[in-house]
Amino acid sequence: MTKKKPAWQKPGVVFQPRLAQAWQQGIDQIVNAIAPTLGPLPRLTLYDPSVSKGKLPEVLDSGGTIARRIIQIKGRDRDVGAMLLRHMLWQMQEEVGDGTATAAVLFQAVYREGVRYLTSGGNAMRLRGYLEEGLRVILAELATMRRHLEGKESLAKLAYSICYDEPLAKMMGEIFDIIGAYGRLELRSANGREIEREYVEGMYWDSTLLSRTMINNPQQQRAELENLAVVATDLEIEDPQDMVPLLTLCIKADIEKLLIIARKLADPVLALFALNREKGRLKLEMVGAKTPGTSVDDQRMALTDIAVLTGGRPLFQAAGDTMRHIRPEHLGRARRAWVNRNFVSIVGGRGDPRALRQHIAALRALFARSTDARERATLQERIGKLMGGSATLYLPGMTQLEQEFNKEVAQRTVNAMRGAMRDGVVPGGGVALLACRERLRAYFADAGEPEARAAGHMLCDALEAPLRTLLHNAGFEPGAILADIRAAGPGYGFDVRAGRLVNMAEAGIFDAATVLETAVHSAISTAALALTTDVMVHRRDAGDAMMTGKP
Amino acid sequence: MSENTQDIVYALQCAQNVCFAARASGLYRSTDGGRSWEFAYTSLALTDSLPTTSVVISPDFATDRTVFAGVSGGVLYSLDGGDSWQIVELGTPPSTVSALVISPDFGRDGVLLAGTMEDGVFRSGNRGYNWAAWNFGLLDLSIFTLAISPDFAADETLFAGVESGIFRSTNGGRAWREIMLPVGYEPVLSLALSPAYAQDGTLFAGTESQGVLRSTDRGATWTQAATPDGPVNSLLLAPDFPTRPYILALLEHALLLSQDAGQTWREYPTGLKDMSAVLAPAGLAPGAPLIIGTTRGDVVSLVLPTQ
Repeated sequence: MTKKKPAWQKPGVVFQPRLAQAWQQGIDQIVNAIAPTLGPLPRLTLYDPSVSKGKLPEVLDSGGTIARRIIQIKGRDRDVGAMLLRHMLWQMQEEVGDGTATAAVLFQAVYREGVRYLTSGGNAMRLRGYLEEGLRVILAELATMRRHLEGKESLAKLAYSICYDEPLAKMMGEIFDIIGAYGRLELRSANGREIEREYVEGMYWDSTLLSRTMINNPQQQRAELENLAVVATDLEIEDPQDMVPLLTLCIKADIEKLLIIARKLADPVLALFALNREKGRLKLEMVGAKTPGTSVDDQRMALTDIAVLTGGRPLFQAAGDTMRHIRPEHLGRARRAWVNRNFVSIVGGRGDPRALRQHIAALRALFARSTDARERATLQERIGKLMGGSATLYLPGMTQLEQEFNKEVAQRTVNAMRGAMRDGVVPGGGVALLACRERLRAYFADAGEPEARAAGHMLCDALEAPLRTLLHNAGFEPGAILADIRAAGPGYGFDVRAGRLVNMAEAGIFDAATVLETAVHSAISTAALALTTDVMVHRRDAGDAMMTGKP
Repeated sequence: MSENTQDIVYALQCAQNVCFAARASGLYRSTDGGRSWEFAYTSLALTDSLPTTSVVISPDFATDRTVFAGVSGGVLYSLDGGDSWQIVELGTPPSTVSALVISPDFGRDGVLLAGTMEDGVFRSGNRGYNWAAWNFGLLDLSIFTLAISPDFAADETLFAGVESGIFRSTNGGRAWREIMLPVGYEPVLSLALSPAYAQDGTLFAGTESQGVLRSTDRGATWTQAATPDGPVNSLLLAPDFPTRPYILALLEHALLLSQDAGQTWREYPTGLKDMSAVLAPAGLAPGAPLIIGTTRGDVVSLVLPTQ
């Protein structure tokens, strides 16, 4: 006798048209939760984490975050459609940090029109092919509109088009003008009302002093050295005898200050060193810092960067290096260094500047090739550290809720700004997408197949959708304004804050090119793929909704 | 620059007929347009020489009488035309100031930048009273030369010639970006921006071994000007460039003049060897006076040929 399965475990097969209808409903639920956040005059979404006791509600204005918070919607078939879109938005948020509301609206428009066309008897695979052709046309047209921004005013305007927060945008403009696309920027919450920033010279890594006895600046609780030699290794130095070749080398080279970056300096090593200094047998002042990084890979990368910066050569345990084999070429040089309980900082590394420039160029090339979010984050951080300084932005907030919201907005702005500075910007406010329609129409003008003509119409309509949503969110009637924009000519758009038509470039209203391109690419290719899905097989039901994004 | 001489003239500056020569033995001043020179540090009562590696005069010298001199470890300033001096240290360990540039709008913005041989660029925004290192993006801290845009008040543009090439700042020296030079053309010893840089985007770079490079797009691309090999220690453009497209290039053993924006060059015989610095206080018109400093400490007045 077989045991009867509960309803949510029952397998099932779903065919058209039920599948498309259900997916459309699921997609609409997610898009309706996200669309109000599009544009400079958005509305917010409040997330109620009532299932997690003690957690505060969360104010959300990012489509990607809203999508992440919606972990399930009611209805087994609808949920699959919603999760397909959610996954796309999540991935996009990870990749470029912004543009998810635009992508959601575009996706919805293409999918809705696609379903309508297919219901009337069109061929899904052919339609998908033409949608992808149209996508390539749009991306090519967007590429022609790219330009790079320079100067704090332009960058502040760009930041404003991402965060819609004037003080934050002004600060971001200044900071990115200084640190550049790859520079190191730390975001910290602070109790207060004013946004503040701080710039720190030099490169620094997470580390700690290997002995507190080395502190020579008690006021700042750190050890400082000037005109120093640097040894960088992932070895644990246990035996005092291991230090003899290094000390001999230092005496011969007349080195008076030495920074050892190692995983460990054992007590006998420190004791021997202290004793020799005390008795005046050794003039060398030594400071030890723990090798940065927790994993072997992190340590290898940090030591490699330090070596390039200082002109030394790191000693690696995995390569069979020992302290007894140390040679002059292992020693790097720097103008200044300090170590405290959290960081080791090196200022003015004396490595070959050409080698440093080549090293950074290689890291940038790796960054450009990489599609892995974690690897890109690591590379971003490594490049930032080597650029010679860092900035810290203190974000105000009187409550934890406000602080978290401000930090999230700032982080999203930072991610999008970096992309915009690396890859350029295009006219904002939906204008760049509108401008693609002419090329798209020309491309499909002579199309013979009905699927090609349908794809052309579908994409032209979809490219209007973000601007329509943006205007609707700001309380304007889209129809009349779209007509005005068409009449005004290329480059003109509607500044919803000022409530008038403007030249977008002159008004400094831009979108990050990468963000917009990723949004277009993700939305159209995912919608095209979704339209070719005819059958869905359920293994088990996901159960009732835990949270929905009901409009 | 030659290293086996004793009293190199590193820099020359003139304003209102008052000239300064920064030399390994200290700073010298002339009040008659370079005909006679006196030691400018007399008021400091030095017991040892104070090598002075750079000097710059305020654009409002006629009214503010302000002069800055770069030395090892700091910047000296005088508010009385060089009679008395105060020092501002740049921090430890001491850096040798290799280049000084002053904002053309100094009277209003008080901006002054010092390039150093070891620690990159220091910036002062309050007339030289306080200095801070601003080296964001400056991956090479050995500064040989600095050049400031004539339209600095609007474009905040600066260039730094370094051992590995050129860096540019478009925010008044707070941050720097690499400029791609053709491979093998570094180090860059001298830079000169067109007086009409805001319009024509033209600048010239003097290299150690590849002559003079020219860019007409703010440093994005470069072409080589046909100059003889050898370190180009100094480059001067005519004050009315490009209307009068004259350029003067000082090599160690030759003074070259181009009258066609660097297309062709003609050597101007000076009879001097080991030249290290040049100044054209009245521009580069035919017959204009020249002041040339040598690695032996000589400062000589000449005139440009009339043809």
